[in-house]
Amino acid sequence: MSRHVGSYPLPPYLKTKLLAGGFSTVEDLEDLKPVELSKELKISPEEALEILRVVQGVQNDASSPSSSDEAVKTALDLLQEERHQGCIITFCSALDELLGGGVPLTKITEFCGAPGVGKTQMGMQLAIDVQIPCVFGGLGGEAVYVDTEGSFMVHRLEDMAKAAVEHCRHIATVENNREQLEAMSDFTVEHILSRIHFYRVHDWVELVALINILPEFLQQHPKIRLVVMDSIAFPFRHDFEDLSLRTRLLNGLAQNCIRLADSHKAAVVLVNQMTTKMGHSGDGQAHLVPALGESWGHASTIRVLLFWEAGYRYARLYKSPTREEATVPYQVTMAGIRDVCIPNSTQDVTSDMSQEEGTSHGDHSQRKRPRVS
Amino acid sequence: MSLRKLRRLGLEPELVDRLERHKKLSSCQDILVKVHLELQHLTNLNHSDVQKIVTATSRACAPTPTTALQMKQAGLSSGSAPFFSTSLPGLDQALHGGIPAGSVTEIAGPAGCGKTQFCIMLSVLATLPCEMGGLGGAVVYIDTESAFSAERLVEVAQDRCPHHFSNDDAFYKLTSQVYVHKTPTCSDLWNRLQSLEEELIEKRVRLVVLDSVASVVRKEFDNSLRGNLAQRVKLLAKEAALLKYLAESLNIPIIVTNQITTRFKASWEGPHVLSGDIDAGNGAGASAAVDGGYVTAALGNTWSHSVNTRLIVQYLDDKYREVMVAKSPIAPFSSFVYTIQSSGIVLQDDERIWKSSERVATDPGLIPIKVRTMLGQGGGLVVP
Repeated sequence: MSRHVGSYPLPPYLKTKLLAGGFSTVEDLEDLKPVELSKELKISPEEALEILRVVQGVQNDASSPSSSDEAVKTALDLLQEERHQGCIITFCSALDELLGGGVPLTKITEFCGAPGVGKTQMGMQLAIDVQIPCVFGGLGGEAVYVDTEGSFMVHRLEDMAKAAVEHCRHIATVENNREQLEAMSDFTVEHILSRIHFYRVHDWVELVALINILPEFLQQHPKIRLVVMDSIAFPFRHDFEDLSLRTRLLNGLAQNCIRLADSHKAAVVLVNQMTTKMGHSGDGQAHLVPALGESWGHASTIRVLLFWEAGYRYARLYKSPTREEATVPYQVTMAGIRDVCIPNSTQDVTSDMSQEEGTSHGDHSQRKRPRVS
Repeated sequence: MSLRKLRRLGLEPELVDRLERHKKLSSCQDILVKVHLELQHLTNLNHSDVQKIVTATSRACAPTPTTALQMKQAGLSSGSAPFFSTSLPGLDQALHGGIPAGSVTEIAGPAGCGKTQFCIMLSVLATLPCEMGGLGGAVVYIDTESAFSAERLVEVAQDRCPHHFSNDDAFYKLTSQVYVHKTPTCSDLWNRLQSLEEELIEKRVRLVVLDSVASVVRKEFDNSLRGNLAQRVKLLAKEAALLKYLAESLNIPIIVTNQITTRFKASWEGPHVLSGDIDAGNGAGASAAVDGGYVTAALGNTWSHSVNTRLIVQYLDDKYREVMVAKSPIAPFSSFVYTIQSSGIVLQDDERIWKSSERVATDPGLIPIKVRTMLGQGGGLVVP
């Protein structure tokens, strides 16, 4: 039952060319690519494409390439998406500036640092901040916390949650915003704790298994906007004889995380440790570098290094596709991660800093961000 | 969990048999380690079937989720205290109640500073009933240096809680509940740790002390030999993982003691850290005045990551010592002055003493520690 090409809604000159070229039925046009057809009939590729589209479109060929074009996005679409996408703030405005608003969604952010610098604190703070209600400029989402080291302590989380609730309540009261005050009824310490899903993973097999089933879990809980892995390094740093296996597993893990972040519009935060690398810097001294090797550096989109210097904690952004490398100070207080007020600076410097903060907050002014102390 | 047999997953029996017999795939770990393509090859199934097998295996291996709220409620209702009070009020307050249960706490410091004394004191406290602030259970004390003294245990008990330990019965109860294991070599220690789980459950142990983890490792591994450093790091990481697992599954505190080492280089600040350690040994002559070197906790960077809480003890002068909370997920950096007396560790609140201890928070792997250079000659504290 093959149709004659003349019965298709094509311009007459194309029909004559087809018939002259010896194409009389649809079957003659099967398996032909536009460029080939255009060379044979001496027509432009666009016209050849049109012929094939019409002929195959009417045949309702579901596997034709035209149907998959809808899945392609233009940069314009992505731009609009990116503008509307939220970030997870950290309550330390310097750090948020560094990251361009906060920890971004659909990307993998890695925090690496020496022991005791505050990586777990950062993870816990983000797990609380992702839950800040939308009326305050937050995402109103839930979090998944995967603990491989056993450093998660509910009491500490409670302290930080209390401080976050106080902060938001203060803003709501000061601005006397009815919506915000109403939202506070859902933003209590109990609610915050109930929206953090906790997994305790003991070895790398459990971690691999968990990442395999996380997509399903995220589908069942569509409000999840953050997955924290604290830490990704610990299970892979001992008991691994076969380094190539380790690299393969880590790559697979990274791929799965990227897919997870993208398809569920969630942020994935990985916490990494540091390792000592012997003498490459020219002076033969050993340096601390992020663990898990060079190839792991490609897995995360954004890398932040946390370190100590002269009694203060600093965060350095050293890999980011959108922001410039910079270093900012932060501190860990009873309330969680906060900004540092440098005590030795003169009045001018502090007023400069606050001016800077004021202007740079301008571009994010569409969202009401809680003021940080 | 990862060694769970495929048999028990509810997959088709012929498939499981075939896998086991011909391809030697019998546990979940074997499946999860392989790439999809490999699995298709081995099982002779198509993509979606292999996907089902992987999903079933993953579901079986992955841990079950809980929420933070459930954890808090479980902690409240379990009856076992989340923190083990050290009976030193300042320290307890800083640590939110005391040594956290379910995690590994490390005490590091120079020789003779009071680490073993601390451990002995905590052992006494652990056997006290819960109403008195103890843990009401047995203690396993793993001694690698033969430093444990039963006489001292009894002396501390007597002086610290004279009311409770007023008759022989109480002493009997105390001493029969502290189980001491001597493990002078690494392999002894590893074997002991592996068989610890059964012992902990059987004897209702509420505290495990390992004094010290550093001595055996430093005796048997020579960092200057090739491959030894990597082996050492691996062994320590394995031990840390096992200790954490025990601490968490039985919800008990585990205390580990560590020694000190000397690092060279003038500046210890910033993200650039320095030369490998030189073992400073345990002698009193551990002077830190080696061309701008300084003394810090031993066992390296990876070990510092592995412990959850780190307390550092150091000398202030001949009589006074100081305990610092160097790393803790729940406490800020703080320090307390103490002395060692017949009743164990006693905190000092004297204002005068505070001035000599200006502490600045920094990387817990790099905190400089003051050691004692001259024995009892009233002088010379080396400050790096």
